[in-house]
Amino acid sequence: MKYVWRVGWREFMENARTKGFWIGILLFPLIIAVASTVPALLMAKGVSTRHFVLVDQDGSFAPVIRKELARRRQGELDDARRALAQAAAPGGAGTNLAPGLPGRTPRAAWLEVPLPEGVDGTAEPALLENQLRPWLRGERTLPRSEASPAPKLFAAVIIPRGLGATNGPAVAIRYWGENQADTGLRDTLQRIVTEELQGREYRSLGVDPAIVSRVEARRAAVTELDPRKAAGDERVGMKDRIRQWAPSFFVYLLWVSIFAVSQMLLNSVIEEKSNRIIEVLLSSVTPHELMLGKLLGVMMTGGVMMVAWVGSIFGMGIVASLFLPAGAASGGAGNIAADVAGLLRSSWLLPAFGGYFVLGYIAYATVFLTIGSLCNTLKDAQNLMGPVMIVLMVPMFLMPFIPRDPNGPIATVASWIPIYTPFVMMNRIAASPPWLDVVGTGALLVAFDVFLLWACGRIFRLAILRTGQPPRLVELLRWVQGR
Amino acid sequence: MGVLLAADMDGPALELDTVTKRYGDFTAVDGLSLRVPRGCIYGFLGPNGAGKTTTLRMILDILRPTSGTIRVLGAGSALEVRGRVGYLPEEKGLYKKMKAWSVIAYFAGLKGMSRLAARRRAFELLERYGLKDFAEARTEALSKGMGQKVQVLASIAHDPELVILDEPFSGLDPVNQGVLEEIVQDLRARGRTVLFSTHVMQHAERLCDRLVIIARGRALFDGTVPEARRVVPRVVRIETDDDPGALAALPGVAGLHGTGPSRWQVTLAERADPQDVLRACFERSIRLRSFDAAEPSLHDVFMALVGPSAREASFR
Repeated sequence: MKYVWRVGWREFMENARTKGFWIGILLFPLIIAVASTVPALLMAKGVSTRHFVLVDQDGSFAPVIRKELARRRQGELDDARRALAQAAAPGGAGTNLAPGLPGRTPRAAWLEVPLPEGVDGTAEPALLENQLRPWLRGERTLPRSEASPAPKLFAAVIIPRGLGATNGPAVAIRYWGENQADTGLRDTLQRIVTEELQGREYRSLGVDPAIVSRVEARRAAVTELDPRKAAGDERVGMKDRIRQWAPSFFVYLLWVSIFAVSQMLLNSVIEEKSNRIIEVLLSSVTPHELMLGKLLGVMMTGGVMMVAWVGSIFGMGIVASLFLPAGAASGGAGNIAADVAGLLRSSWLLPAFGGYFVLGYIAYATVFLTIGSLCNTLKDAQNLMGPVMIVLMVPMFLMPFIPRDPNGPIATVASWIPIYTPFVMMNRIAASPPWLDVVGTGALLVAFDVFLLWACGRIFRLAILRTGQPPRLVELLRWVQGR
Repeated sequence: MGVLLAADMDGPALELDTVTKRYGDFTAVDGLSLRVPRGCIYGFLGPNGAGKTTTLRMILDILRPTSGTIRVLGAGSALEVRGRVGYLPEEKGLYKKMKAWSVIAYFAGLKGMSRLAARRRAFELLERYGLKDFAEARTEALSKGMGQKVQVLASIAHDPELVILDEPFSGLDPVNQGVLEEIVQDLRARGRTVLFSTHVMQHAERLCDRLVIIARGRALFDGTVPEARRVVPRVVRIETDDDPGALAALPGVAGLHGTGPSRWQVTLAERADPQDVLRACFERSIRLRSFDAAEPSLHDVFMALVGPSAREASFR
């Protein structure tokens, strides 16, 4: 065991000294942190206020549009004010609020500006649009506004005469803008004008639009309940949804980590083979000790990555629950983070993940190690890795189905295939699978790992000194049978 | 490390008894028997493809023989006494990203040394053999010669009783070959046994107490260097413009043949004295331009024993 440990320790230290290892460790929490904060920052700061001109040649729509836009803007400001008051209250997040997060006056998404000087709003649409082109193309900028020192005209909205008339040719709102990806302003204006036209229609038919609105606002309420929960606490909340989907996250984690270390294993074995270090090693340790040592080293490498990743998520959850507001106005970010941290602390998720991580690792790492021992170059190894990677992709294809029917036939059958057991059972763990599945598939996986170690050990012993082309499948089977 | 038994100490360092290794129909080593006494430098000579590396791998238990037995320092497997055996393979390589000292310490650790002792020993060896300044360098930054030196040091860092060196001089410049010879002689001076394979006869001639010459997996000779020299008939090379034909009739002369214009080789019978040939030349007025009565070299012995089969093998 001493020699297994020494081989394993060197393997771990060599991996731990690579830049890739540290980049991998730091990148994951960084991506999580960036993904959870940047969209909010971008929403608040990244997208500048869009300036637009509105020309209503009909004359009846502009006041409705302006009134509705002002009402929406007031709603945003009220929300921000409420969030700030909540943060300033005793026990609130107070001054720890990050810039751009709720509590600061939100930037207006759109701002209507007067027509530029020299543009005649009463001119025919074709002439008017021609006059506006230099501003729409960015060749000319608008006069300084509160939101920008030299604003560019984002869009021009022209409502021609006769819009909504039931007789005569169909008339459309003319929306001019270079940016076809940002449809927010266009959709909002279309919705406001549509509602106004529908209102007019209702009124002309003698129906009160307020009644229509009231009718349309009616919704059947649904309370989701989970019979597995304690009496009186059956209501399904965010915490339950997190509990349901958290295993999928761990499956991804397991998958990514196996993917990451497979390359390290291949490189390591092929370096020892191609540099002929293997001969010196085999004069000091048995092939079995060498193989187990390498597996141990890789498991330690992957284990440290896992601990760092899970630990960083745990840490971020705690930090977020301390510093982010828990109110609904903020999207309840603090509540979610606290729920995640609580879930990791209290459930079987972490122990199950640890167990399946170790057993899954042994299975896949043994296969990768054996492939490395069969090849003399990375190119040979990559060719052999192709089929293994396809097999490894299957759990990813199953991912969307298993949480929806965690104890259904697909999940149950896949659980009993040892190479998929770690992924599928991890995915099912939140749905309280039958004990037979948990214990049976676990025992089968342990037996499978033992078999792989035995069979691959036989191949490894013969392959590790071999040069030239990788052996054929028939030859491999002969090696396993000891012939 | 294994416990040294009195019986182990008295027996040979290495013993092979009719060892055979077959790969399918091909026989790499054929009934080879050897006995390497303790405390000597033992040369393992043979042409390319003679089975040297296969034999060394079997000695180290990297390969299992098809038949026959091998005892290393009294043990049935070199791995049982791994802490007492050092090995330098023919094809040398190091972990490129590891530092010179850590490679030596790692291999010493695999031979049973404690982490701390292995580290101390690595620095001590690097200093002694002029690589102190490169101790912290990654091995990929070392020259080929330096890298080989580091590997040699890694094979002896745990102070083994038996050191097996496979073609240790290949790739080294003359200065570093000298350094390696010093290391080998130093090991012998400290009572260690060195078994090294080579096909460079000068090294074997200078270093070996005993040697075995193998070809096609079989031992052709096993003994000391003087004994090896006696395997081939002694020759005298002369240069003369006269006709030396009369020398063929001398009682101590087994043969005479020309080797070039005015050049002749006189093959002596067993125990014949080259001085008799010289005297006969004077007596018969054969005017000599040169007279060379040097002892046969190991090269001559090697060529005489394995030359035909080696040439045959290379053209097969």
